[in-house]
Amino acid sequence: MGGFNPAVKLEERIRQALNDEFLRNAVKFTTGRLRSSKQQAAEQMGNWEEWRERGRQIRLHTIAHLDYYLNQFVQNLREAGGYVHFASTAQEAVEIAMQIMEEKQAKSVVKSKSMVSEELHLNDAMAAKGIEPVETDLGEYIIQLAGETPSHILAPAIHKNRQQIADLFSEIGGEKLPADTAVLAGFARSQLREKFLQADIGMTGCNFAIAESGSFVLFSNEGNARMCSTVPRTQITLMGMERIIPSWEDLEVMAAILPRAATGQKLTVYMSAINGPKRAADGDGPDELHVIILDNGRSQQLGDPEFQEVLNCIRCGACLNACPVYRHIGGHAYGWVYSGPIGAVLTPLLNEDQDQWGEVANASSLCGACYEACPVKIPLHDMLVYLRRRNVEAGRTDATERLGMKTYKVAVSSQRFYQLALKLGQFGQKPLARNGEITAKVGPLEAWNRLRVAPALAKKSFRDSWKELDMELQHELVELKPETKARMEAILRKRGNSHEN
Amino acid sequence: MKTEKKSVIAELHEQSLQKQETFIKHIANRLGREQPLTTPPKRSVSGAVDSWRTHTLDPEERISQFLMNWESLGGSAVRLADMAEAKNYLDRLIGEMKAKKIIREDHPELAQIVSESPDLHLTVWGDKDFAAMRKAAAEAEIGIVMADFAIANTGTLVITSTPQRGRSLSLLPTIFVGIVKAKDIQTKMGDVLSVIQTWNGKEMPAGIHFVSGPSRSADIESDLTIGVHGPSIVHALVIG
Amino acid sequence: MKVSLFATCLSDAFYPRVTEAMARLLARYGIRLDFPSAQTCCGQPAFNSGYWDEAKGAALQLIDAFADSDFVIAPSGSCIGMIHHHYPSLFKDDPAGLAKARALAEKSYEFTQFLVNVLDVKDVGAKFPHRVTYHPSCHGARLLGVKDEPLELLQHVHGLELLPLPFAEDCCGFGGTFSIKLSEVSAAMVTEKAEHVIDTQAEVLVGLDMGCLMNIGGRLRHQGTSIRVMHLAELLYEGVCRADGRI
Repeated sequence: MGGFNPAVKLEERIRQALNDEFLRNAVKFTTGRLRSSKQQAAEQMGNWEEWRERGRQIRLHTIAHLDYYLNQFVQNLREAGGYVHFASTAQEAVEIAMQIMEEKQAKSVVKSKSMVSEELHLNDAMAAKGIEPVETDLGEYIIQLAGETPSHILAPAIHKNRQQIADLFSEIGGEKLPADTAVLAGFARSQLREKFLQADIGMTGCNFAIAESGSFVLFSNEGNARMCSTVPRTQITLMGMERIIPSWEDLEVMAAILPRAATGQKLTVYMSAINGPKRAADGDGPDELHVIILDNGRSQQLGDPEFQEVLNCIRCGACLNACPVYRHIGGHAYGWVYSGPIGAVLTPLLNEDQDQWGEVANASSLCGACYEACPVKIPLHDMLVYLRRRNVEAGRTDATERLGMKTYKVAVSSQRFYQLALKLGQFGQKPLARNGEITAKVGPLEAWNRLRVAPALAKKSFRDSWKELDMELQHELVELKPETKARMEAILRKRGNSHEN
Repeated sequence: MKTEKKSVIAELHEQSLQKQETFIKHIANRLGREQPLTTPPKRSVSGAVDSWRTHTLDPEERISQFLMNWESLGGSAVRLADMAEAKNYLDRLIGEMKAKKIIREDHPELAQIVSESPDLHLTVWGDKDFAAMRKAAAEAEIGIVMADFAIANTGTLVITSTPQRGRSLSLLPTIFVGIVKAKDIQTKMGDVLSVIQTWNGKEMPAGIHFVSGPSRSADIESDLTIGVHGPSIVHALVIG
Repeated sequence: MKVSLFATCLSDAFYPRVTEAMARLLARYGIRLDFPSAQTCCGQPAFNSGYWDEAKGAALQLIDAFADSDFVIAPSGSCIGMIHHHYPSLFKDDPAGLAKARALAEKSYEFTQFLVNVLDVKDVGAKFPHRVTYHPSCHGARLLGVKDEPLELLQHVHGLELLPLPFAEDCCGFGGTFSIKLSEVSAAMVTEKAEHVIDTQAEVLVGLDMGCLMNIGGRLRHQGTSIRVMHLAELLYEGVCRADGRI
């Protein structure tokens, strides 16, 4: 389980990531590439903002009526011949999945990318029972061979270079493979073909589930999700309970925004709608179809005005690509399954142990790039602040910080104390300040000044020079232009009117 | 053994029916309702944005846009007058690729254009049992199907699964040939989805596949590569 | 009509020249300014770290300070963004406070917003014959939507060559307490930003927020470059003085 060690604190994980030069460059390169193609695709569609808003509206409505739509989906899927299972916790989901696998006497299970599966640590549970889990997404396959976890929702092996991949493949292939993308992909194709044909069960995630027909939809570029839902006789699909959309027509919106936000494609190479198991006369497709619907902390967000919207997420990864913090530290530093801004929000929300996970909400400069990139407009930057407030309220921040904030409050809540603090600062910095700068690495400036120069407090603050400046300005003041005056008065009138209404 | 196996699934199903009640009720409670909602909620908006709903191309534009988009995804696209031309196209393709094994959908129009010869082994879908057909599809160099629809805007072929047209046909062979009638090319995805919507609850095929170009991946150092699991060479033939 | 300056704590204490330049520029249009000395800080350092009670202390002080003002103008999109975007959530359980917070938000403007959208000034008549690059600060651009105003002002400055900053919209890594708490990521971010600034070969880096400029400027200074770091108000005022022949 490389990259996944909950005993290591955020700061240490970040330090490890920052010291990995290849990782940093690779992450920057790929996210940059995904970001720029996204911009191009968004432009092709005309009014991207209109689509985003529509996507948001559909998701908001669905989540607000999730009880209805989930029931509708389940009923329709059962009518189509599928089995549905409900799991409140990761543990329950694993138990259900394992019972099905054991009942099928499965020896090997081919899997297409599923973040829910990562949440469950299902591969570990399978291995413990002697069932071989085979990740079939090329990136997932690579990191499974390396014994690691994904570091990006869409590009899970973003942190591996070509030579490392060639070494991994050479080891299982028993011959030296060149570090050539086409050769390596071809090798993986032939290896995985065998696995597909031998597998007893195909396992998939679920991008969207359509309530009105009980169908679910899988997006993929490689075709492995299609393989998993075509070749093996039994299919198990893992689905977060919030994956629902009401109708087929809503799928057009999701199909427009998901690939564009994710990779800049108009549509992924494959979009497959699965409607129950194969029909009796069909020549292929699974005889038996199981869908496991997972809660695992999601329902806790329902009814919470600050966090319900996080369930609108369609797992596109756009916020990762936009996030400057993610671009520098990569996915593993977040410590859990989901990374980037959505991970910094979901990790504390879906995990119980806040002493361990609460701090992940600090991994953001709150620049808002995630919100701007999000195709369903989730205010992740605001949610991060709410999570930090929770940490403060629960006393999970350190004593120095708390004391600092108490002092801050005293200083900013009264003019007298504020001015006093200014004077104290101006006096106290005297031994350190030179030419308006402080370069000494002392106290809170230690980290700042390692790579930067800090400004010194001005000898005379603005408030102390205002009186003089005011007199000068009054003396020179020209007359306000009548049209400017009229504009300003109109603004004031408009304000007054809006208050009366 | 067999009866015992069945009972595990049956038991899970029983559990699920019970669990569903508490699971959904919990969701309803969290959303501030005592009981789950049983009537369809009113919606202020649904589906695509208004400006897009009315977006329609005339038939000729649809054809040219589809051909252009399919090509730009890395596929080959060609417009042919009739199935006779399609036969010539396929013969040429088979010759160029030196194909030995092909597999096709069981469709009357395809029967005219693909035929077995001493050098060419042909499998027609539905002839054999599951395992044999899967093997034939996996070994075939070329898979040929008639698509239900095409989508001009995205360069997409829409292929439903039927007893005559397995999912494997457009997935397992190295080369995929999808044939679509010009009249079945729609402007945008919504035009196809509104047809699919009418299948709800009655004629819904078990699989509906939207295919846009060759299988691809960028998982190795973001370097685009083609044909990872699905076909790496894809031909779209527009007839009419 | 009472038009008040909100210096922001950072400019008040560290960069008084910025607020001064803003005041001098506005005075040229006949705006009679006022500086309520009860003002302190918008509360953002505490708010963003999750200390809402502490942030509220600052917010109440600010609300009171500007209670009589008709327009409040600050040289920071971040502080005005705080008032517009976050004060409502800070007072969500306090209807009286909420009403007052909304009233302040309604009359608060970032400097270029006020200049371009209220005073209708796009050309201040400045002359600034230098190569300049512009960093759009995240909060101003994203929370407040100030994107076109500064560019419009810059485009009208005579002699100014505006050089596009690569990845301009990327955060500089300041983020208030973020730069202390996760100092190493912050340092990596500002290093990258500074490299982009240097790559433009600009002589001057201009922006709308002293937080970001303190961060980027501090990095540039540490690297020993001679790139001048200025708030747009400073640049415009200096440009006006140059055009008037005063410098």
